[in-house]
Amino acid sequence: MSGSKRIGILRFLGTNCDRDVWQAIEAVGLAPEWLWYQDRFEVSRFAALILPGGFSYGDYLRCGALAAKAPVMASVREAASRGVPVLGICNGFQILCDSGLLPGALVRNEGLRFIDQWVELNLVNSCPAFAPQAVAKTPSRLPIAHGEGRFYVEAEGLKELQDQGQIWWTYADNPNGSMANIAGVMNREKNVAGLMPHPERAIFDWMGGDDGRSFFTSLV
Amino acid sequence: MELAAKLKHYRLNQAEYEKIKEVLGREPRGVEWALFSALWSEHCSYKSSKIHLKKFFNKTERVLESFGENAGVIDLGEGERVAFKMESHNHPSYIEPYQGAATGVGGILRDIFTMGARPLALANFLCFGESRAPRMSQLVDGVVRGIAGYGNCVGVPTVTGQTEFHSSYNGNILVNAFALGLFRPHMKIVNSRARGPGNWVVYVGAKTGRDGVHGASMASESFDANSEAKKPTVQIGDPFYEKLLIESCLEVMEKDLVVAIQDMGAAGLTSSSFEMASKGGVGLTLHLDKVPVRDQTISPEEILLSESQERMLLICEPAKFPALKAVFDHWNLDASVVGEVKASKTVELFWRGEMLCALDPDVLVERAPLYQRRYSPWEARHRESKPDKLLPVVEDANEALLQVLRDLRGTSRDWVYQQYDQRVGGATARDAADSVAVMRLPDSGRALGLVLGCRPYVMRWDSRQGGMDAVAYPALELAAKGFEPLALTDCLNFGNPEKPELMTEFVAAVEGMSQTCAAMRIPVISGNVSFYNETLDQNVTSTPTTGLVGLRPNLQAIPASHFTEKLDGIFLLRLPQVQLSGQLAELKPGAPMVGQGEIHAHAVAGLVRLLIQLARQPYVHSTRLVGKFGLAYALARMCLPLGIGARTAAGDWFAEVREPARSLFCEHLYEVLLAVDRNQETALRELIKSLAVDGLKIFKLGETGGDRIVAGRALDIPVSEAKRAYQTGWEAHFEGLE
Repeated sequence: MSGSKRIGILRFLGTNCDRDVWQAIEAVGLAPEWLWYQDRFEVSRFAALILPGGFSYGDYLRCGALAAKAPVMASVREAASRGVPVLGICNGFQILCDSGLLPGALVRNEGLRFIDQWVELNLVNSCPAFAPQAVAKTPSRLPIAHGEGRFYVEAEGLKELQDQGQIWWTYADNPNGSMANIAGVMNREKNVAGLMPHPERAIFDWMGGDDGRSFFTSLV
Repeated sequence: MELAAKLKHYRLNQAEYEKIKEVLGREPRGVEWALFSALWSEHCSYKSSKIHLKKFFNKTERVLESFGENAGVIDLGEGERVAFKMESHNHPSYIEPYQGAATGVGGILRDIFTMGARPLALANFLCFGESRAPRMSQLVDGVVRGIAGYGNCVGVPTVTGQTEFHSSYNGNILVNAFALGLFRPHMKIVNSRARGPGNWVVYVGAKTGRDGVHGASMASESFDANSEAKKPTVQIGDPFYEKLLIESCLEVMEKDLVVAIQDMGAAGLTSSSFEMASKGGVGLTLHLDKVPVRDQTISPEEILLSESQERMLLICEPAKFPALKAVFDHWNLDASVVGEVKASKTVELFWRGEMLCALDPDVLVERAPLYQRRYSPWEARHRESKPDKLLPVVEDANEALLQVLRDLRGTSRDWVYQQYDQRVGGATARDAADSVAVMRLPDSGRALGLVLGCRPYVMRWDSRQGGMDAVAYPALELAAKGFEPLALTDCLNFGNPEKPELMTEFVAAVEGMSQTCAAMRIPVISGNVSFYNETLDQNVTSTPTTGLVGLRPNLQAIPASHFTEKLDGIFLLRLPQVQLSGQLAELKPGAPMVGQGEIHAHAVAGLVRLLIQLARQPYVHSTRLVGKFGLAYALARMCLPLGIGARTAAGDWFAEVREPARSLFCEHLYEVLLAVDRNQETALRELIKSLAVDGLKIFKLGETGGDRIVAGRALDIPVSEAKRAYQTGWEAHFEGLE
């Protein structure tokens, strides 16, 4: 894949959707590269960064909390501040929240059980880097698989998200008790985005749907 | 300790004690007692079952590994191979459901990646008691949470399974975990044979604690009123640690840094070290004081017997140790040298420089007692020849259908499967909502089908026929999706083998399975036996669970298990062999299910071949085996997912059956429902004719469409009503579980 854009995929101890994201990135013709949690990296080499899902550090202490303190996150912060697109999926979203790159937090699902199912999502504000308006399909059908995916933010935080157009996707039928049905949010600059559903699990028809493809094709 | 007390403590009997003296040529001493207790336990030695397991059909040209190693391996061609196995964790799960089930998942995964395969999929066969039985909702909740907690975190999708309910499991639930791993073309199969004198024995993974001490021998006896006191023998699992072990072990194997590797499962360090030495025909020295421990007061005997989870033992050339250690460091894991391979065939255990014992490993591994337990030839039971008695009592078919859709045995399992991550890994093409789970093979793009088998109610009817059905039914399920069944693993859950009537059931089931496997050329490549599934003299239903793997050349147009199109023709294929009054009859108290006929494995093999061809035709849109609760239930299940009804009023089936309302609920082994493009009926009939299956009947039932489930004048209900019954049944039984 020489010549295609390089996408950094972060791996923490316990990340487990890393290969899935790798497969999705390759499928759309981009060049994936691993980034190890202990190592800093040269920010300018990457067209985008993805923090995949999983159970970093076994979700001990609090999901995403330990990963947010890993050395590699210093480089992620630098990338984010320079406008490099950064996408956190599931546990990756939790890590971005815990590290302060995204607002809010993800807490235990209402009902306190892990939920695996396909959900329907509505695009609220588009993200220029991942599934921009031109390619995003709304509603989109994607799988969720999480125990702690209920988005929470304080009242004024929510108002700010609404006012600044930072709410990215919402659930058509709220599965986990998320505040304002939120499934994904962005930072104010809209280059850092987090999403609980898994677009990398909806890349090919045989997976049960390919609505997730648009989240990556826009990077090509 | 006097002898009687010692034998009781180590769960050995007088005859076994005599045999120990015979193989040693002297009295056992010190830690030897603990070693014999563990390795001669039923759980480790298979002493009651081995004679019968040898009869299994276990060789085809695809079999690369069968029973010699931690898991069986088959060749899929094109460089792809899979390892798979199933194992029970019944006793620990009853005592402590969350940890018992979680560590069952962890243990079966280690059996897979120990071979060098990357885990691709998990599945579970669960048998619970009645929902109102003491602790049952807590057991259901704990087991499902345990499986979810471990499997989801370790990042291996749980894609299929079976969940059964019956009063015989009230005091002894069954938790069988299945795992499958993939070797991609560049990956090597690694074995557990220690070799190369001077090579190092390396301990990797979690530190050793007191958890699970005597676990193997605990699993080899029946429950009594004091089962609660056995809690300390249940292990505690840590899936995060296991994830690190998977990645690091696969990396050292891929880099060719290990000579041999084995996980520490039942009987922990004892079984792994002695088995590795015995298989390799070498000796080992092992310094128990170098084993990383959680607690400095732990005794050498406890170190030997601990079943602490997430630990591996491996053999490494000293020159490669630095590279090996670097990999484990990278993954934040410790690797400690605890011993060395010796040319002389003796395992020597040391504690702070002092030798505790020196034993020929074969004495423990190969010379365990073998029992020919008493049993009788199988006699067919619960037979009935009167046609009227072979039909369940049904007054109103609509009511009966709603009843079985709401019944715990027939209702939706979404509550269970929604707690499992079914898609992590990016290879799941069909999940647990389908009758066969489908994984995509990444290099060839082919499809791998997985399905679990065994219908306990058929076992309650007749152990021999039930054993045959445990192979035939899942093989037909694979075939109905176009998969060629390739191989099988099993987990034989039975009661007390010292009771002749139980052993008779065991032998009958094993013979039935074996005969069916041979006729279908499906080799048994791995497995596990769990005896003593009884509590206070009440035995569980004999439950020989199976896991089958099949292959299909592509992922395109795999038939759905539900109706996908309106106006498709609905056909029923019947291979008349056995008729059962069925599971509906069993729901009536005091009336055992009856049946007549027997399964002919060669005829079923013919039906398997036919279905494989049918299911690869693009005009066959949907397929489903008619199983529990008969035709009405199967039709309903095909209507529910997309709300497409069935109009089966005018079909020729109605001309043939007596009492349609009752016939809709009896069960024939075997029947398959098909939904076929209505313009392709001729093609369908010609294909069926060309692959002549002796005795096969084909009925046209009607067509799909509308929003009602209609069968003649006997059955007519809205799909939406059936769906509501199916979706609310679970919570009606387990109100406490949201």
